[in-house]
Amino acid sequence: MTQDLKNELKRQIIEELNLEDMKPGDIKDDAPLFGDGLGLDSIDALELVVLMEKYHGVKITDEEVGKRVLASINTMAEFILEETSKTK
Amino acid sequence: MKVFVTGIGVISAVGLNARENLHSLKSLRTGIHKSAQYKVMIGEVPLNNEQLLQINDLPDEDYSRTTLLALPAAKEAWGSNKNDSRIRTGLISSTSVGGMDRTEKYYFQSQVNKTSDNYSLMIHDNGRTTEKLAEELGISGHISTISTACSSGANSIMQGARLIEGNILDRVIAGGSEPLATFDIKGFNSLNIYDNEICKPFDEKRMGLNLGEGAAFVVLENEQSISITGNKPLCILCGWSNATDAFHQTASSPDGKGAYLAMKNALAKAGISPDNINYINAHGTGTGNNDLSESMALKNIFGDALPSFSSTKGFTGHTLAAAGAIEAVYCTLSLVSQATLPNLNFSNPMSETGMMPETQFRPAKIDYVLSNSFGFGGNCTCLIFYKY
Amino acid sequence: MVKKDIDPSSVLLTPDYAEFIPAMERRRMSQVQKMSIACAMDCLHQSTIAQPDAIIVGTSMGCSINIKNFLDKILEANNGPLSPTSFIVSTHNTVAGQIALLMKNHGYNMTYTQNSLSFEQSLGDAMLCCAEGLKNVLVGGADEEEDSLYNMRERLKNDKVLLTSGASFFILSNIRRQGNAINLIDVGSFGLIKNTLETSLDFLKANNTTDLEIDMVLYAMSEKSKLNELTSFFGAERLFDYQEITGTYYTNSAFAMNYAVDILSNRPHPIFGEVKTVLVYNNLIPENLGLILLGTKNEQDEIAQ
Repeated sequence: MTQDLKNELKRQIIEELNLEDMKPGDIKDDAPLFGDGLGLDSIDALELVVLMEKYHGVKITDEEVGKRVLASINTMAEFILEETSKTK
Repeated sequence: MKVFVTGIGVISAVGLNARENLHSLKSLRTGIHKSAQYKVMIGEVPLNNEQLLQINDLPDEDYSRTTLLALPAAKEAWGSNKNDSRIRTGLISSTSVGGMDRTEKYYFQSQVNKTSDNYSLMIHDNGRTTEKLAEELGISGHISTISTACSSGANSIMQGARLIEGNILDRVIAGGSEPLATFDIKGFNSLNIYDNEICKPFDEKRMGLNLGEGAAFVVLENEQSISITGNKPLCILCGWSNATDAFHQTASSPDGKGAYLAMKNALAKAGISPDNINYINAHGTGTGNNDLSESMALKNIFGDALPSFSSTKGFTGHTLAAAGAIEAVYCTLSLVSQATLPNLNFSNPMSETGMMPETQFRPAKIDYVLSNSFGFGGNCTCLIFYKY
Repeated sequence: MVKKDIDPSSVLLTPDYAEFIPAMERRRMSQVQKMSIACAMDCLHQSTIAQPDAIIVGTSMGCSINIKNFLDKILEANNGPLSPTSFIVSTHNTVAGQIALLMKNHGYNMTYTQNSLSFEQSLGDAMLCCAEGLKNVLVGGADEEEDSLYNMRERLKNDKVLLTSGASFFILSNIRRQGNAINLIDVGSFGLIKNTLETSLDFLKANNTTDLEIDMVLYAMSEKSKLNELTSFFGAERLFDYQEITGTYYTNSAFAMNYAVDILSNRPHPIFGEVKTVLVYNNLIPENLGLILLGTKNEQDEIAQ
């Protein structure tokens, strides 16, 4: 189920960030999203914050938290699972 | 060839004309408050469109608020100037949203109500809002609109100076106008760039900017024009430059390269060195990024001999395209009043720089004033004014 | 010349933008940005300069597609979380700014948005830059078609006009070069005027040129009565409506200049013959007049392509 979530995240990232030439299989779960990995920038970071709230109902309000949570698909999925289990 | 500033006009959250703005600056009275309509801290001009139509003596047509704000400021600056075939005259305005306040209203209506309402969409384009202003002032011929985001107003004024120096025009009314629009308010909100309280430029605990609206214009003339109009100079525009940061679409580079180049070249244009500057009106939006980047650039230009500096955006909010023009008017007021202008809400300097802005409207010997305006796209403009 | 109406099924001719713009930057760009960057990069490749000293762009409507996208996003978000990208790349100077960003250019950067006079004002500023001592200036005009926000047809008083997109860029230089150098003699921008023909003759006179020396007039016009006036004066055989090729966008006079430079550079032209002086007569908006005078005399300002 976690893998489903990760695949869903990959599809959403590709769509929301207009990464036209990419497929979900091109994004490794643990690959860095920013800097040397996928090469996303600060505008993409803002988009990912919106994506997390819009599609997964989780809010990132702190820049430091954001840096940690948005580091990779793994960290994003972990955060979603953590936050959604809190509300249950 | 000297470029004289002979007229100024301004409308902002802290005043409907230059005198009222000056009074607010002296009294440390901010115009930023929580907007009932938009639910964020902004600097609104305290007149709605109906009231602006009335004070401008306009028929009840669908004017963009860009034009409605521009008119009183432009008329104040224009004063008793008249058309004269001996004086080659131009109008250069600037805006980011143009007629967006109308467009978004009609677009939202048409999308939500599924009606097709095209009336007045034609007044959206930036150029048209300037043409409406030209019609009211009776100016034709050189009518121009610049749009470089938050440096626009300063660029209009710089362009006016260049056209006069280049012997293409003798007299230019130049400035900018920016209303509040949902487009911008939502836009900046999506960037997480607001302060939930009044902004704190150059403060260690600054959280972001507040948007504002307003308009300002200056009248620039050469000696030939003044000999005909008899207008009395308020100050001299003696230096200007525009450079590009080329770092990121919205963020400024850590060392403020674009800002540094603009200031360096403006000083060279004015033929002065940094130690001639007595007061700096900074861009100082209150964001983490701008204030640090601008501080680095100031440090690289002025070293340890930083003159008095402040941001006046704690009074007006960040008025985007109008900012550079409003601040040019404020620089003129600083020179005419012989005083530095205050930076509101400052408590603690930034740990990276230790720089302390001026917090008072303080009488001082002011010969040269430097004004910075930086916009999206890394567009950096610096203007330098000299006492008359 | 027999006047032809543009075929409504015409499409914009575009290069493979991947040749000019990396994917990570390209993904955020609307049509006007991609067109402009491709043109600008192509100009640079054709010239021998590493960097222009200034970048000046005229665009009437700017990044309309991004503006519309953001308005749609506002409606869609309905006070919920809002995606920022369209907003960030929506300002009119995004085109000029993005060109500078990709070229890592720190020079003078300006954007004019005076509807049908946007390109002429950019060109005028470029000439002023050269007069002030800058050696090479990149200047262009571009607009993308997105009419749901505007009502251009209302302003042009023409319901049938075909709205299109386009971009044209040039490098203006004050250094004489070898080969085909075309002279940009002067440019004029006149807003809210009535006597357009008279204004154009004054413009020619100020440049020591008579109407007889104009071999060709490339024009854009909306009002029939003004067209009749122009035809009576210059004669139909010297006139060419460039909107037959471009369709209508407010900065299409930039294309006309490009076309003029081609004609002047390749003489004699198979259709137009020996053309040494061209006037671009942009009267697209009836009360606004843009004039561009080009010739093969080697005087001060030249265009290196």
